Amino acid sequence: MPRLEALSEVERKSLSFFPCMEFDQTPWVPLSKDLSQSKVALISTAGLHVRGDKPFISDFKGGDPSFRVIPSNTSPADILQSHVSIGFDHTGFYKDMNIAFPIDRLQELVERGVIGSVSENHYSFMGAIRDPRRIIEDTGPQVAQLLKDEGVNIAFLVPI
Amino acid sequence: MSVALVREHAEKVKPPRALFAPFPFGHTLGRPNDPEYQHKVIAAAFDLLNRPSGPVLEDFDGEVGEKLVQASAIEVSVASSNGTNPADELTSMRELYERWVADHDGRTMVGLSGIPQRRYRGTVRFLEEYAENGAADIKERPEDVAVPQFMRYCVDDLKAFYYEARMAQRSNATEEEIHTWFWGETAIAQLIKDVAKRMNETDDADLKSFANGLAR
Repeated sequence: MPRLEALSEVERKSLSFFPCMEFDQTPWVPLSKDLSQSKVALISTAGLHVRGDKPFISDFKGGDPSFRVIPSNTSPADILQSHVSIGFDHTGFYKDMNIAFPIDRLQELVERGVIGSVSENHYSFMGAIRDPRRIIEDTGPQVAQLLKDEGVNIAFLVPI
Repeated sequence: MSVALVREHAEKVKPPRALFAPFPFGHTLGRPNDPEYQHKVIAAAFDLLNRPSGPVLEDFDGEVGEKLVQASAIEVSVASSNGTNPADELTSMRELYERWVADHDGRTMVGLSGIPQRRYRGTVRFLEEYAENGAADIKERPEDVAVPQFMRYCVDDLKAFYYEARMAQRSNATEEEIHTWFWGETAIAQLIKDVAKRMNETDDADLKSFANGLAR
């Protein structure tokens, strides 16, 4: 996103007043092994799901806090987007989902020896969440546990 | 490790490692169909893993090539009531859409409603009935999905179908050109606007919110 000062007044106000949480502290975990040995998973807020799975709900108060599992061996032809927001241009994602869900790029990084492996699963949440409490208290920790169970070293969070 | 799209928000949230990417929403890694550019952004994000302590918030040194384009920001003055029947128009787009799918290894954003695209004439009838009467239903709607929500999935399918068909037809069209064509020239967009208008005529705040999501 361009810096706020480069936006129109309406867009700038909308983002400035978006209910963003503020934290004083940051958890810090050093990378436990070399990048070339690490297992990487994608965490998306692009509202993605596998064809046949349930789409996200548009009118959930505060935003749909659920998540979808996207097995990394899913064919890209079977990945869909049910993102509620009309505040971003969907055309780029129609053209190439790697613009916000870089599954092909991660595979290439494995082939190039840059990362060790891609995790068995990626995870997607909905974006534009105005009330993130359910994610912080419930679904976020669930996904964190799944990532730990799957031996993931690096969670790469990619919004849209 | 994350990509941050609003720097001011990342400064408040203070995630351990964030790369601020200056691209428009929807274009997180810079440019579609440009794998090496996307790799540059990803490499910059992975590089943050080498910092000894955090929080780390660094800027990606990238150019914002195009101005921010949002379908919702496109002003369309041309009325799309060109006399075309939406269902016939949709059928005429089918060959282009199928070419898009064939050319992209089956990748398509069409499918939220679960209705096969070859049966979208039924989807169009569903929308027409709603636009006319303010009430409608369709047998493919799952019981646990409310009508307005299912209508949103149907409309998102139609938009993706048309956009992908148009991109198959004009591979060099800019995003703004595609938005302007869709909202300004197609009968299906006029139908979507009619559905939204009908929703907006009610006193139901949720329906108005759905209308807002449909007609942009």
